Amino acid sequence: MTAILEIDNLHARLVGGREIVKGVSLVVNPGEVHAIMGPNGAGKSTLSSVLVGKPGYEVTQGSVTYMGRDLLALAADERARAGVFLAFQYPVEIPGVNNMYFLRAALNAVRRGRGEPELDAAQCLKAVKAKLKLLDIGDDLLKRSVNVGFSGGEKKRNEIFQMAMLEPNLAILDETDSGLDIDALRAVSNGVNQLRDPNRAIVMITHYQRLLDYIEPDFVHVLSEGRIVASGDKTMAAELEQSGYAAFGKAA
Amino acid sequence: MSGVANDSAMTALQDAFLTGLETAQQPAWLAQSRTSAMQGFIALGLPTRDDEAWRFTDLRPLFSAQGLPAPASAAGADPLQLATHRLAGEAHRIVLVNGRVAADLSSIGTLPKGAWLSSISETIDLRPDLIQAAFEAEHRFGEQPFASLNAALFADGFVLALEPGVVLEHPVEILHLSDAADSQAYHVRNAILAGANSAASVVETFVGSGPGWTNAVTTIDIGADAVIRHAKVQAEGAEAIHLAVTRARLADAADYDSFSLITGARLSRQDIQVMIAGEAATVQINAAYLLRNDQEATIAPAVDHQAKGGHTKELLKGVLTDRAHGVFLGSVMVREGADGTDARQLNRNLLASPTARVDTKPELTIHADEVKCSHGATVGDLDETALFYLESRGIDPASARAMLIDAFAAEVLEVAALAPDIDAHARRYLAAWLEHDGAAA
Repeated sequence: MTAILEIDNLHARLVGGREIVKGVSLVVNPGEVHAIMGPNGAGKSTLSSVLVGKPGYEVTQGSVTYMGRDLLALAADERARAGVFLAFQYPVEIPGVNNMYFLRAALNAVRRGRGEPELDAAQCLKAVKAKLKLLDIGDDLLKRSVNVGFSGGEKKRNEIFQMAMLEPNLAILDETDSGLDIDALRAVSNGVNQLRDPNRAIVMITHYQRLLDYIEPDFVHVLSEGRIVASGDKTMAAELEQSGYAAFGKAA
Repeated sequence: MSGVANDSAMTALQDAFLTGLETAQQPAWLAQSRTSAMQGFIALGLPTRDDEAWRFTDLRPLFSAQGLPAPASAAGADPLQLATHRLAGEAHRIVLVNGRVAADLSSIGTLPKGAWLSSISETIDLRPDLIQAAFEAEHRFGEQPFASLNAALFADGFVLALEPGVVLEHPVEILHLSDAADSQAYHVRNAILAGANSAASVVETFVGSGPGWTNAVTTIDIGADAVIRHAKVQAEGAEAIHLAVTRARLADAADYDSFSLITGARLSRQDIQVMIAGEAATVQINAAYLLRNDQEATIAPAVDHQAKGGHTKELLKGVLTDRAHGVFLGSVMVREGADGTDARQLNRNLLASPTARVDTKPELTIHADEVKCSHGATVGDLDETALFYLESRGIDPASARAMLIDAFAAEVLEVAALAPDIDAHARRYLAAWLEHDGAAA
């Protein structure tokens, strides 16, 4: 079985800054859900940024292989078309760009990447409606500009909705639980659980354990000071909750 | 500009003018009007950067060793462009080729009783009463060198005149095609004269190729409670020069709606002078200018509130890329006694390349009481986080950039709320600009 993601001794930083990710290694196989947990400043957002090719970051050492390809050699849009998806911690508001128009552009770009025919407006609307129903989201958000005027919960649900539309092989959820009340958290988690699939890998990056009550990971990793200092199954998350990150940091 | 260029330009123009006066068949009043306009132009001289109103404008592309371009001598013809650039819907159409009305390409169709639409040359012959007064009233707007030159040298143009209460169901479409291979001047003179309670929509499209110089003046007189919606697409060729002055005078409760999309010409300037002479008149000025390479465009709306209760709303947005230069000179004057005026002016610019430039100068002068006035100007870059968000969804960088630019510029179309076929027409030229941008990126 080919791994979906193989991170090998990855070192990364903000361009010109000090090293923040200091030798992360991780293998994620199809169907697996991994949680990467860690305190503020552990390197969680640098790791997710580097994986999706966000400008402003640089890799100083190590490699990332995605389904047998050198992920780091691809531009951000190429990674997305190859099936990598990031659910943003802070989804970006884009005034004047209609959400439906944006979705169709993204979906057709990704479909082209997969060698599938593009969808016309009517076909796209049909696909969109099906996914909205699956995730129990109203269709009024389609008429608005991308993320403009959305509540925090709506923005996060819109991220998961986009994930459902684009059907990635690798989904990275960056602090998807932050800023959500319990109802919104439940709704978003249900969405993610619907999208668990034997061919898809999910990497959740989170500060808090509570998301893992709703989306059960197969593996939990603790990131501290730029390194994975402990890995285990989902029971480790509960341990973390008990003892705090400090104990794990010392253990390293 | 050097004094030498000025002198040779003046000499060439005067020669052309005198030759024209001798050979032209025209009524005495017109010959007199042309002569005094030429005298006015000579007295004014060509603008230089010492003139505040021309401080940001680089007029050098206009001048050659021979001075200013001579007036185009005869109409060319490229009927092929007609099909590409005309409005999709039904319209009363006049086509000008190189500054002259091409009767064979025009199709005015059936007009309601009390409506006049024709070339200015035919109007001078058949209905001089319609425009003589308008010409004479022109001085109220003050002098502008290129407007004076136009008044002296104009070859053709269109006249729309509506008697009181006449409403045109279909738009008037004026298509200006140009294709002169050498540097020629197209002095186009237009008039829109709307009687009380009349209404019409006028769409002007300027397209073509070659290094020609369009120098257009459009006089608009809007009677009480009349409505004129005036849309303009300036998508001239990359070597063209386009100077245009629109002068609108509004009576009580008149409504003037101006929309401009500017994507063409190497050097362009659009002056929109509006005089609110009657009470409770309404003015909307919306414009988008999208420029690339070394293009320069100036848009200069000047609204003069002389009467009570006037409303002015302006949104002008610029997208500048490569080494393009955009200039916004906006003025709103509220005269003594123009109480209750409400004037809003906003200029926003997007610099899509580090070498693009913009000069923006919104001005507000208030001499009245109880007015609501605001003005503002912004200059910003493309939003990097938005670009990355789009790219992270698989959209390639060029398309992502085009989506953001489109969203920025299209706000002007949303605010302008043009009739559907005119909106579609404008969006076509906006899309053409964006496609070119995507191809270049």
